[in-house]
Amino acid sequence: MLVEYATVLVFIVLGAVTVALMLGLQRWFAPSAPSAVKLSTYECGEVPYGSSWVQFNIRFYVVALIFIIFDVEVALLYPWAVVFQRLGFLAFIEAFIFIVILLAGLAYLWKEGDLEWVRTLQDTPAKKGAK
Amino acid sequence: MFLGNLASLRYFLPEFAVTATILLLVVLHVVTKSPRSTASGFLSLLGVGAAIFLAGVAPAGAGRSIFEGMVAHDGFAVFFKVLTALATLVVIFMSMDSRDLAGRSQAEYYIFLLSTLLGMFLLSSATDIVMLYLALELVSIPSYLLAGYLKGQERSTEAAMKYVVYGATASGVMIYGFSILFGLTGSTQVAEIGRSLAAGKATLPMLLASVMVAVGFGYKIAAVPFHMWSPDVYEGAPTPATAFFSVGPKAAGFAVLVRFYYTVFAAADPGTGLWRLTSAVDWPFLFAALSALTMTVGNLVAVKQSNVKRLLAYSSIAHAGYMLMGFVLLSSAGIEAILFYLVVYLFMNLGAFYVVVLVSNATRGEEISDFTGLGSRAPFAAVALSIFLFALTGIPPFSGFIGKVYLFAEVIHRGVYWLAVVAALNSVVSLYYYTRIVRAMFFEEPKDASAIPVPAVSGALLVLLVAPTLILGVYWEPVARIAADSVRMLAF
Repeated sequence: MLVEYATVLVFIVLGAVTVALMLGLQRWFAPSAPSAVKLSTYECGEVPYGSSWVQFNIRFYVVALIFIIFDVEVALLYPWAVVFQRLGFLAFIEAFIFIVILLAGLAYLWKEGDLEWVRTLQDTPAKKGAK
Repeated sequence: MFLGNLASLRYFLPEFAVTATILLLVVLHVVTKSPRSTASGFLSLLGVGAAIFLAGVAPAGAGRSIFEGMVAHDGFAVFFKVLTALATLVVIFMSMDSRDLAGRSQAEYYIFLLSTLLGMFLLSSATDIVMLYLALELVSIPSYLLAGYLKGQERSTEAAMKYVVYGATASGVMIYGFSILFGLTGSTQVAEIGRSLAAGKATLPMLLASVMVAVGFGYKIAAVPFHMWSPDVYEGAPTPATAFFSVGPKAAGFAVLVRFYYTVFAAADPGTGLWRLTSAVDWPFLFAALSALTMTVGNLVAVKQSNVKRLLAYSSIAHAGYMLMGFVLLSSAGIEAILFYLVVYLFMNLGAFYVVVLVSNATRGEEISDFTGLGSRAPFAAVALSIFLFALTGIPPFSGFIGKVYLFAEVIHRGVYWLAVVAALNSVVSLYYYTRIVRAMFFEEPKDASAIPVPAVSGALLVLLVAPTLILGVYWEPVARIAADSVRMLAF
């Protein structure tokens, strides 16, 4: 049984060797002449400004979550629609319950104001960080 | 024999009750004007009550595997469903009474609480590692939210953050263990994995997998060395949520621990009430060491604590250690002792936390110094807390003593004397820090001697928690019989 894991072992060894080889070779061959400009952080060719630890508006996260939930819903309904003829009325009821549950979630989001981006941008202090 | 999806529905009623209540809570939150209304608390009480009724009313019989082998419906699962739902019911009462939570949005809190309950239902009955993992996450994720529910309080946010980081790590390690098991056996069915492993010989991957899975479960029951999160989380979370964490998810963790290890790495010897190891992995020894370590660390660190919530957190770590003793014995009587202890532990621990809620409602603090003179300020609460603390120590005639008798008797019966000695020494240590609170309550002068009012409803609930703690100390036979029946029906 252990032998079946030989492939995994080969992968691990190859991976380690490749990394070591790449880093080692470039250190061996590349000339080293550091300067202040070279050592600075690369930011799309621009002169970098500010820290990378900016605070993002948490709304981005909320919106992403909302997106994923409805994304999953669609992803599930596609295969459901394909085999719907075969499954019959029962599949309809199942999908109905599923969508009703998500609808309750949507109603909740609406009530909490999570669907309104503009209004919330006005009254969150995180505006500064999200520029 | 697996039941299909439709045929399984009628064995899934408690879960439906909880799910329906969660959805109703969402609707209630959307339609009500004031989010602070207590209606959601009462609705949750109704829902959980219905779930207990539906779980308890239908006997599981010999047990069956439902939803194509994803979930088991057997006495063991039913026992834990009733137990965890009962804990949730008490916690809902506590939450409605807590000043921490008053003035915050109510419905969401109960949605998280009931989602955790749903997860615990599934966790105690899952027989497929995919289902098991999902159930564990369903317990964990709402728990993180509960821990951080006091938005704007630094301690609560810190608790939630630590909980997330620890939980994610533990569950990552655990699912890695699952993937190794799947790689070894090619099945996600717990029983099937057990059969494949018994035939195979891959000791090293198996040892690795069993240890990795132990990390995930150990985190859930807060066993040392996976306990680091628990004192901070217990301290920062709203007190009713803390009480909940120390009983509910811990019980569900024990359920899944027993079901998983006794199916995958052991097999029952028919007729003897004993189990034998089916693999070369000596996990009972591993867990015996964990058990000794858990109770020792829990008790020794508890001695130094000055915050009552932290103290109870360490004490609950120690109690997980005691209960692990029953887990390593490979006998039905050992599991019975765990089940019985969990019932006893439910009442005494929730009771202790409830008094903490009542006191901190009045004093706004949870330090031992806030409890000084409680004997004169709120005599009834002080006496009740003393009863709970003595029961937690395991002093007769309280229920904790009987729980410990069952555990110790089986440990000695199976000849693991060293573990019994360690546990006995630990009980002595625990007496010190429990009585420290009792001394503060009755023998120290309070700074502020004004009476702390205990509302009639709170008093009534306190009586309901004290009563089992006293009664189970003298008349425990029915509960012990239920525990024994639940083990016997453990169907795989």
